[in-house]
Amino acid sequence: MTLINNTIIDGMAFMLPLLIMAIGGIFSERSGITNLAVEGLSGMGAFTGALAAYIMTTCLGISSGPAYYLSFLFAALGGMLLGLLHAFLCIDGKANQVICGVVINILAQSVTIFLVKTINREIFGKPSDKIDLGVSARYTVPGLSKIPVLGAFFTKIYPFEVMIIILTLIASYVLYKSRFGMHLRACGDNPHAVDAAGLDVAGIRRRAVMISGALSGIGGMAFAYSISAKFSASYFVGYGYLAIAALIFGNWTILPTLRACVIFGFARSAGYQIVQKLGYPSSYQDLIMILPYVLTLVLLIFWSGKNRSPRALGEIYDKAKR
Amino acid sequence: MDNEYILEMLHITKRFPGIVANDDVTIQVKKGEIYALLGENGAGKSTLMSILYGMYEPDEGEIRVRGQKVEIGSPSQAAGLSIGMVHQHFTLVTDFTIAENIVLGNEPMTKFGFLPAVDLKKANQQIRELSQKYGLEVDPTAVVGEIGVSVQQRVEILKMLYREAEILIFDEPTAFLTPQEIDSLLNIIRNLRDSGKTIILITHKLDEVKRVADRCAVLRRGKLIDVRNVADMDTREIASLMVGSEISLELDKQPMNPGAVVLDVRDLTVANSEGIEMVKDVSFQIRAGEILAIAGVSGNGQTEIADAIAGLLPVRSGDILLGGESITGLSIRERAQKGISYIPEDRHNVGLILDYDLEDNLGLRRYYREPFTKNGNLQENVFREYADKLIDKYDIRSSSGAETIVRSMSGGNQQKAIVAREIEEGNPLIIFVQPTRGLDIGAMQRIHKSILHERDRGCAVLLISLELDEVMELADTIAVIYNGRIGKTAPADTFTKQEVGAYMMGVGGQQNAEGKERERNE
Repeated sequence: MTLINNTIIDGMAFMLPLLIMAIGGIFSERSGITNLAVEGLSGMGAFTGALAAYIMTTCLGISSGPAYYLSFLFAALGGMLLGLLHAFLCIDGKANQVICGVVINILAQSVTIFLVKTINREIFGKPSDKIDLGVSARYTVPGLSKIPVLGAFFTKIYPFEVMIIILTLIASYVLYKSRFGMHLRACGDNPHAVDAAGLDVAGIRRRAVMISGALSGIGGMAFAYSISAKFSASYFVGYGYLAIAALIFGNWTILPTLRACVIFGFARSAGYQIVQKLGYPSSYQDLIMILPYVLTLVLLIFWSGKNRSPRALGEIYDKAKR
Repeated sequence: MDNEYILEMLHITKRFPGIVANDDVTIQVKKGEIYALLGENGAGKSTLMSILYGMYEPDEGEIRVRGQKVEIGSPSQAAGLSIGMVHQHFTLVTDFTIAENIVLGNEPMTKFGFLPAVDLKKANQQIRELSQKYGLEVDPTAVVGEIGVSVQQRVEILKMLYREAEILIFDEPTAFLTPQEIDSLLNIIRNLRDSGKTIILITHKLDEVKRVADRCAVLRRGKLIDVRNVADMDTREIASLMVGSEISLELDKQPMNPGAVVLDVRDLTVANSEGIEMVKDVSFQIRAGEILAIAGVSGNGQTEIADAIAGLLPVRSGDILLGGESITGLSIRERAQKGISYIPEDRHNVGLILDYDLEDNLGLRRYYREPFTKNGNLQENVFREYADKLIDKYDIRSSSGAETIVRSMSGGNQQKAIVAREIEEGNPLIIFVQPTRGLDIGAMQRIHKSILHERDRGCAVLLISLELDEVMELADTIAVIYNGRIGKTAPADTFTKQEVGAYMMGVGGQQNAEGKERERNE
């Protein structure tokens, strides 16, 4: 019983940050801009969020509750700013979007690690390569959590889980119901049609990539709280790429991407729980960590054929060329 | 009101590096007329309309709309002056529905809870009403990527009407349509005029002008040559105005002098790449010095016959004999070496390598043989000499000769390059598929002359064309294909155009045209 409960609790905590990063990727890619930078954007978000949280709690004396929520705001800002760089290079600089995304990943990783060390040494006067976060509060809903099995969904919830569910709903509305979402999706299929309708392709795409950065940053901050309660070089383990895999399996649409994230999240947490239950040594736990990636490879074989990427994805838009 | 011009473009001059695209061109269009801009490719028609639509700025001259001088700096400004344009290449979002495409940028809104949201129900309703009003039937909820070219074109027209455009520009609207679709489009254009819209029709097809236009401006090499009332215009005269020299519309066709059977197709059955049988039990023979034309509505299996003979598609059953020898099991290169030249329908993807230069494209049939290759090394000078020879012989025009990247060449010259490469092999069999599609009258004539010349030198020619006029003009023997089967094969002079048309529709209406259309769309 605890095995299933723990699988659900851990699975949700892993799956939801992955989902919000993937949704960010969907926004960027449905507007026509390839976004391999999800890893770097989320890392930058986690860094700025963690730094903000640390400063707020230790220097400004803000209590950890409000600091927790504010840190997500800063994470979104950090991700958005780096996203703006991606947008600038891809849209205004007409750079190759794949290379640009990879470069941003490398850049984010090295810059954040450098900054963590420098800030720790110069400002806080301690040699350290990480920023510690307080342990996140977790809530259990009274009553609902007592329901067998399903109760696990209401047990030991991170506040960010609720936040991400709300953001997912808002993102779905924006992408599929709002005027902006319609324009965004049109940009990813045929930017010339958007241009002919008198709309600003570059502006729409820039906003889409910034949204992508903000959502990645929030996802990154959530991982920083849930997985290690700190920000350090060990943050960069490739969950950003996993989010990209999820959105591709989800055919660039939100609901199927949720399904892919559920599979990734629960496969990982179930494997982890089973290894623990059987009492295998920790090396087996490391093996479980690769489960989502192995699953990605397997799913690639079965799902790839049916998927269709946005038609104008990755193409540099040139008004004059038709 | 009679003399009131809704649109005037006065003394427009537009220069591009090295070329004057429009040279002091003046056109004056009356409200409620169909005004045709006629000229060969490159005559400056599209440039003139791009200026009107705000995509280019003229170097000199002024534009007046409803008597007011205007500056048009962008397509949205043009739309603001109620000018709309249907481009040759559609700008549609393929994964949106028809209604979503039409309302894009001007969406009706509703509330989703307390949030603003696009009102697709209302959009569908609006499009349905609009399409009924102008007789342009479409299903607003159909996804654009899944509908045919002619319906996509209707969507483009509806896009203009939704934005309440009064001046509608059509840029070569019939280039990709079948004869039936052209008929229905011309009807639509007439209806639009009758409901008070002003129409500018860019075209190089004389008969379309004759059929719908009220007045016609002829452009040649950037200059306005003349403006005529279509009712009292003489086709031959207009054609020569357009081309710039006296041309004969009739081809000088000698009587056929047939020799031995070159191509013998026996009970051929071919499936397309999706495994659907497109050609069923087809048999025909072509003799040396004979042009056999396969006539039919697009999608009835004619392309698959050509692909099967050339080796691009596998044969499911039956046999193909070239000079009495079976070639059914041979590879594409082996067939070419046995003597088949092929001018394919899709010149961009099958006929040419667009990003290679002209000399490499002209050498594609020979590059692996001596003297083009020696000891495994390509001999650049041989390519160059060969290309220069062909460029001269076949009058292939381009900006920098043998080194021109083929993508930058005009459609007519691209086709001339393919024809040159294939004819130069001197093969006993040449297959032409849609050889003049999208070409202007001058380029078309040169291709027709080449076809007749090959036949007169004793070559067997298989001509596959959707243009009935082309078939009637060139063929010695006509085979009509319908639904993958050849219904009738007979000497060309025993057919009238109407009879061929009837066979093309499946003889005596066993299946009507609409049924065919539906079948094709599936």
